Amino acid sequence: MELAEEGVPPVINLTELAEKEKEEFEEKVSELIIEFGAENLMACMQCGACASICPLARTGFEWYNKKLIKAILVGMREELLDDMTPWACVACNRCTEICPRNVTPFEVMLAMRRLMVEDFALPTLTIEGLRSLYEHGHAVYMTGREARKKVGLPEKPPTTDSDEKALQELKTILKNTKLAELGLIPME
Amino acid sequence: MVSETETVNENEERKLKFGLFLGCNITFNRPDVEQAMRKIFPALGVELDDLAGQSCCPTWGTMPSIDDVGWCAVAARNLCLGEEKGIDLMTACNTCYASLNEARHKMLKNPEIMNSVNEILAKIGRKYEGKAKCRHVTWVLYKDIGLEKLRESIKYTLDGLTIAVQPGCHFLWPSEVYPDREKDPFNPVVLRELCEALGAEAPYYTKLIDCCGIGALRSTDPGKSFALAKDKLECIKEELDADLIVAGCCSCMIQFDDVQDKLRKEGKINFSIPVLHYVQLLAICMGFDPQQVAGICVTPRDEIIKRILEGGKR
Ligand code: SF4
Ligand code: SF4
Repeated sequence: MELAEEGVPPVINLTELAEKEKEEFEEKVSELIIEFGAENLMACMQCGACASICPLARTGFEWYNKKLIKAILVGMREELLDDMTPWACVACNRCTEICPRNVTPFEVMLAMRRLMVEDFALPTLTIEGLRSLYEHGHAVYMTGREARKKVGLPEKPPTTDSDEKALQELKTILKNTKLAELGLIPME
Repeated sequence: MVSETETVNENEERKLKFGLFLGCNITFNRPDVEQAMRKIFPALGVELDDLAGQSCCPTWGTMPSIDDVGWCAVAARNLCLGEEKGIDLMTACNTCYASLNEARHKMLKNPEIMNSVNEILAKIGRKYEGKAKCRHVTWVLYKDIGLEKLRESIKYTLDGLTIAVQPGCHFLWPSEVYPDREKDPFNPVVLRELCEALGAEAPYYTKLIDCCGIGALRSTDPGKSFALAKDKLECIKEELDADLIVAGCCSCMIQFDDVQDKLRKEGKINFSIPVLHYVQLLAICMGFDPQQVAGICVTPRDEIIKRILEGGKR
């Protein structure tokens, strides 16, 4: 199941896939979403419980949990290709908690991100976060240390930021994950 | 098989000890929250370990958006830093709490993931056994220390103050992955009781469990994020006329602190409610220097801190 382990980048490219026959697209997209972590996708009965409490639905994003699942199940190509809603998901898991069919809609949002990543369809901020994670061990990182000094803490926190060996450990880990296979960021 | 709620360490018999997991936002944005934890826990008899070499949890927009194994591997390395010392981690950030515990849940549930993770960890000479987990400061204060001890430990009480609590999403759901769970995760009471233990009122309000709107939502569409936060702030103003917002999560705290300032400048709200993390509020009540434990904010805190220190002396 795990791509990182096999070391073979999968043949997944949503753009290419969209050029295929509708039936094939439909089938393949569901398959990929399941493979990328949303194991119970097919159990969805479109009851809308997840949508009723989703912050994305409430704030007017187009393809929130229930609708995204529908779009996947019926293979709506343009919608799936262009929409950035999955990247707005706050990972709150209200939907997971409330779903009567154990679909874990959050995992569908996440799987959709993972599929989009294969197409390099990810926000610039996400790439920056990944780069920062690799370079500093912190996705959110600041060079300025006024705040730490102001409250009487050492400028360097006891994290990868002050520990070269720990940072190398993290880099070794990251180099052995799918992140390295995808080549999204430079990893020397 | 280790379960989510099982206690790893021999904390029960020994002196309480936790690995202080900092994450990114507390470390760089709001180190006053770190300082508050470094003050209150030793004073309450809890020993803290620095978990030297810890990293980002990892947060949602990074490894979790790539694949499960990579996510779990980064989380497992952090968890190992506690496990190797026989202690659990402890955090004041809901994202760290959720990312670490969801990763642990995936590893416990799926031996394939656990094996792949340990193959990667072997390259740095580590192994995660699934024992160490991440506890939430809110739960440690509530369960391990207890309301009675908190009441005894404070120098200033909050009598007469009304607090709007913000437990935050990742404190509650998915309840299945967490070591500690509210009886009803859609009607959380723990943070309310913690505030009441300090003498304040912390009533229910209609939007108590609403999302603050930070994180991916804010970075994708700030307008929608601010609108969501505004709804909740207005509810807090109208229903409770709260003196203070108290969050259990550093990110929620940042959002409400920050957004109020933006909304005020745009003329969209005309009130200002100070926002604190619970550990900061407790630190102030215990008599620690507010400059150190609550010195960083956008929405002013001076008045409320003054009121606590002048009005609430026991
Ligand atoms: S709550 Fe579950 S079953 Fe209902 S629409 Fe959402 S994912 Fe489908
Ligand atoms: S996890 Fe994402 S999809 Fe689910 S309710 Fe929260 S924001 Fe909506």
